[in-house]
Amino acid sequence: MVSFSEIWPIIRLTLIVSGLSTFIAFILALPAAFFLYLNQFPGRKLILSLIHTGMGLPPVVVGLFVALFLWRSGPLGSLNLMYTPAAIVIAQVILAWPIIAGLSLSALEQVDPALLIQAKALGASPTQLLWTLFCEARLGQISGIIAAFGAVISEVGAVLMVGGNLKGHTRVLTTAILQETRLGHFRLALILALTLIIISFAINWCLTSWQQKGINRWRQPSWK
Amino acid sequence: MATTELEIKNLTHFYDGQKILNIPYLPVQAKECLVIFGPNGAGKSTLLRIASLLEKPSQGEIYHRGVLVPLPAPLSLRRRLVHLLDRPLFFRGPVRDNLLYGLKIRGIGHKEQQKRLAEISAQFKLEPYLERQPDELSAGEKQRVNLARAFILQPDILFLDEPLANLDVRTREEILVEFKQIRKEKGQTALLVTHNREEAAYLADRMAVLVNGEIVQSGKPEEVFASPATVEVAHLMGQETLVEGTVVGQEKGLLKVALANHFLYTLGTCSPGEKVTVIFRPEEVILAPEKPESSVRNWFHGLITEIKALDKLVLVSLDCGFKLKAYLSRPALEELKVSVGRKFWAGVKATSLSIKPFKDGPQNETTQLKRIL
Repeated sequence: MVSFSEIWPIIRLTLIVSGLSTFIAFILALPAAFFLYLNQFPGRKLILSLIHTGMGLPPVVVGLFVALFLWRSGPLGSLNLMYTPAAIVIAQVILAWPIIAGLSLSALEQVDPALLIQAKALGASPTQLLWTLFCEARLGQISGIIAAFGAVISEVGAVLMVGGNLKGHTRVLTTAILQETRLGHFRLALILALTLIIISFAINWCLTSWQQKGINRWRQPSWK
Repeated sequence: MATTELEIKNLTHFYDGQKILNIPYLPVQAKECLVIFGPNGAGKSTLLRIASLLEKPSQGEIYHRGVLVPLPAPLSLRRRLVHLLDRPLFFRGPVRDNLLYGLKIRGIGHKEQQKRLAEISAQFKLEPYLERQPDELSAGEKQRVNLARAFILQPDILFLDEPLANLDVRTREEILVEFKQIRKEKGQTALLVTHNREEAAYLADRMAVLVNGEIVQSGKPEEVFASPATVEVAHLMGQETLVEGTVVGQEKGLLKVALANHFLYTLGTCSPGEKVTVIFRPEEVILAPEKPESSVRNWFHGLITEIKALDKLVLVSLDCGFKLKAYLSRPALEELKVSVGRKFWAGVKATSLSIKPFKDGPQNETTQLKRIL
């Protein structure tokens, strides 16, 4: 019989690393998206292409590069982060960042530039203009968060490579499912899989409700 | 005595190395509605952006209530002027949020926000729409919300860029009346640009005609319409017939002008031999099947070549050796049995004609400055 106390640390760590990595990626991606939206410079197209490539980056490749950096002999080896939750967060931030940056930028580009001129003409300061822009592009940004969270919570390759699946230390739901399946503990694997799906669904439900509320309020057909 | 809200001095503005604005002096008096009237591409919107401190001019000074404005203008001053773009653009959220946007970014307290919202919603009859999304509103309702969110800020000057350009005729007329009434009630100073003659004539306390980046005439609308300063202004004001002629001399206190195959009499002080352009206003031309006995001094016999139905009137074109146009009401058209191919007499009073020197073009800066001052 599987007890809740047995799987709770795994659920808690999953929520912490996936939530934290999505949050950090959002904080880092948003200024980048704003910068790319507001500035034209040589090499911008190259950066956009790299971001779009990054949106489909294979997790094992990310895991490999993070492992190379965090390995004892690597450039960041002295930090002793390999096989820690911090290593998982780093790998997941790298996976989530391009997704949020790319989708946020697309959302910003859909805002009518004339609306910002109108905001300025109504007396908005530069900071208020950025806030207005953020609010106008909110729906697309939520899509970015949903997509990034979905990608990192279900990710297994990079987590396994840099986290190591250490019980009670770096084991998350995906790596636990993998482990239990390998051991033939299908019942436990199924419970963990179901838990992962429920958590993922619950969080996406909240985010989607927030997003759809915005859409419903925003896009009432004019003929109604 | 009227105080000056805004003065633009020695303004020149370049775009892509090309001079697109050259305005020596343009004042906006307190509580007036100044209309900048001109064709597309004249530089009206650029002038409006510069005047509302949204865009820095290449050269020139802007004075706000007599004080030189540092450019780019500080936010505190920019917030005393409100500029509405040529189409209503709304932020996400209901009408209420859009109306309060400007007050919120100015940090106006909640109580004051609600007070102004209640007042402005009542004035613009927007109470039923406050919780609705702007997308759900008709074009006219959107424009009312747009105007209301500018009035709610109680700006020193309200700048409007072709505010009624995308509305149907009936809605435009309704909003014109409403805007004029509320502006007068509030004593709101406004600077408005348009290429619509009726809008300019109806709204303007004073109008300035902008052609190729230069103000070629300014004054009360009735003066500008009645006495256009140049042939170009005459065209813009809808004066349909411009005929070249030569001054022959004075006769019984009137100026006698020779056209291609006619003489006409008008008022003026030109010298004999001087070449002039005679401006006929279609609303001043009378049509008659037979030449009547009347005080009208100028009569021309001509063939009707075209009858064009307009909104409320009919525009009749005649070939009298030169092209002449006259407005008729629809009942008059039927009663007189006016039809293409018939010959009619067209009469114009000497006092209804205006003449301009033949060599035309924008006046130099000194002339403009004198006229405006």
